[in-house]
Amino acid sequence: MSITVELTYDMSKVLGVRSFEVNGARTVQDVVRLTRDQFGAEHADAFEKLTRVAAVAVNGVLVNHTRGMKTAIADGDTVTFLKPAAGG
Amino acid sequence: MIKGYAGRVLEVDLANRTYAFKPLDEDSARLYIGGKGYGTRLLYDMTAAGIDPLGPTNPLIFATGPLNGSVAPQSNRFAVVCKSPLTGGIGNAACGGSFAYGMKRGGIDILVLKHQAAKPVRLDIDGDANAVRFIDADDLWGKGTYATQEILGKKKYHAVIGPAGENKVLYAGIVSNERIAGRTGVGAVMGSKLLKAISVSGSRKLDMDDEEKFKEYTKWLREMFRDHPVLGEKLKRYGTAGIVNTTNARNIIPTHNFKYGHHKDAMNISGEYMEDHELVGIKSSCIHCPVTCGRDVNVEGVGRVKGPEYETVALLGTNLEVLDLKKVAEWNYLADDLGMDTISLGATLSFTMELQERGMLNAGLHFGDHHGVSDMIKDIGHRRGLGNDLANGVKRMSEQYGGHEFAMHVKGLELSAYDPRGSFAQGVEYATTNRGGCHVQGASMYLESVGPLTINPQNLKLKADIPILQQNLACTINSMVLCIFTTYGLIPKAVHNLDPNSFTHKLLSLAFENSGPLLRAAMSIKGKPMLWFEKWLTYITGQTFSSGHLQEIGGRIFNLERMYNLREGLTAKDDTLPPRMLYEPTFKHMQSGHPLPQLLPRYYKLRGWDAAGVPTQRTLERLQVRV
Repeated sequence: MSITVELTYDMSKVLGVRSFEVNGARTVQDVVRLTRDQFGAEHADAFEKLTRVAAVAVNGVLVNHTRGMKTAIADGDTVTFLKPAAGG
Repeated sequence: MIKGYAGRVLEVDLANRTYAFKPLDEDSARLYIGGKGYGTRLLYDMTAAGIDPLGPTNPLIFATGPLNGSVAPQSNRFAVVCKSPLTGGIGNAACGGSFAYGMKRGGIDILVLKHQAAKPVRLDIDGDANAVRFIDADDLWGKGTYATQEILGKKKYHAVIGPAGENKVLYAGIVSNERIAGRTGVGAVMGSKLLKAISVSGSRKLDMDDEEKFKEYTKWLREMFRDHPVLGEKLKRYGTAGIVNTTNARNIIPTHNFKYGHHKDAMNISGEYMEDHELVGIKSSCIHCPVTCGRDVNVEGVGRVKGPEYETVALLGTNLEVLDLKKVAEWNYLADDLGMDTISLGATLSFTMELQERGMLNAGLHFGDHHGVSDMIKDIGHRRGLGNDLANGVKRMSEQYGGHEFAMHVKGLELSAYDPRGSFAQGVEYATTNRGGCHVQGASMYLESVGPLTINPQNLKLKADIPILQQNLACTINSMVLCIFTTYGLIPKAVHNLDPNSFTHKLLSLAFENSGPLLRAAMSIKGKPMLWFEKWLTYITGQTFSSGHLQEIGGRIFNLERMYNLREGLTAKDDTLPPRMLYEPTFKHMQSGHPLPQLLPRYYKLRGWDAAGVPTQRTLERLQVRV
């Protein structure tokens, strides 16, 4: 089961990629864990710092409006880390 | 005269080259504040139904409000009001820059331009001498907005049009500094009057009711804004394009003529990317604004110019699938110099690309391909070749070439850069806003899709309520005249600092989402001023303003606009969204599009309108809307 993970701008600068695929995740919590693995021990602090201010969305829907970290995901879904913003 | 106003309306007859300073109508000021509220009242009273928007009987009204001329942050904006040549309904646009400040220095609250000049002219207004000079503008006609303002110099405050206005491009705007009153074609109306520029000067000081309190409070507020996560940090650092990655993540950034709400490379046009790769400076183009959301970038062959804002990078970037910030910056510069609205421009270009894709028109424009776009923008501004058709906007293009189902406009005004399928309240706002498909007449999306504390944007809760509260508030903001960004300060720093995935955050979001009656009741309380703009208005004018007062005044302005539109022949059928928004899903869980038919009856009921969308007599009487 392949899931696309999209990072915030700051996260992508740390990892050097904007998105990647993960396999084997069934919930958002799994995806967060697999993303932490991508950051590894070297960037563990950055991961903690940057995800503390990042919301998570599945296919554009904020998980805080569904089942939070327990939100189920399916093959082909996109999980995105994002920061609230203002502009217009 | 109420404090905060200069007390004067300047009426200029361009045909006869005459002018007169008249007293401001205090009753209208009390009922409508100023800005677009006062301007709409004037327009309604001055004109008969059915006038030609580009004919001599359509007045062009520049309107300031009581906050203009003060040092309150984000307070130097003016409104322009007229009948819109793009929509045929109420036309208005607001603009930062410096012209509002100049008008108040010149002792002018409202400037009314009547009739049409016989040849290109510019106005030079000396407020101190109570004099207006009519100066031939043949030498300026044809010049861009940048060159025109440079020639006019820095000693006065200017509002100008570019070639787009001269050629009556239906989405031409009016420029002050690097800011533009962009929407609804107000620049085309100025062009129809053969009026190239207005310059104003004066040395009057704003007369406030309680200047000491105003100064003391504003000093404190500036500190608060400086420390605010949006007003003091994000907008300053990333500009308005700092929202790109958020709207892209929420699946609401217009992509491929709004067919999709997400683009894999949207980050390339984001405020963060701009900061890292293109930014050469930040600044405020608006007097006394500490937010400094303006960006400077380099455009090849031109040099350092204003960078594109969110609406521009989205409508000319993801929406055309050209994820090249240099190109978008170049097109933004071209549009600014020609003097036209980049929202309508981007939507018209993407519509043309979809016509091309479907084999309905050969314009030589393709999604994902920047070739031909620069030339087409110039052709639009000068109404050359096919550009002459694109200069009429999406609605008329769809009538000419077909494609109604993917023509992205409401009431003829092209949609701005928030896909309502992922932002239901914003969709109701688009459908019902009197000037058409615009986001800054309420900005409901901030509360459901992009801000730090959002309700679920895809259920029906509050989706008819929020647009009303936001539209009413925006009506007053645009009448003071303030920048809508000031409302971003309403959500305190503590909420911004919450973990967005925490239980507390979820609880607050749910409480907000279920606050319907409480929220409406709280907003309607007429008490003491609590928020900064209520306090500013109170300290400056000496009258009391609170949330309840502003909701009532905003409702009055909104209903007057509605009555204007009804008088011009618009009906409830115009309160809709493009078919693509109503029937094509963009989210995996969606079966169809935006649920507008389920929300509109409730919206009408809460507004005090009948089933046909007409304000009832009781509503008009309650709000003191004279028609």
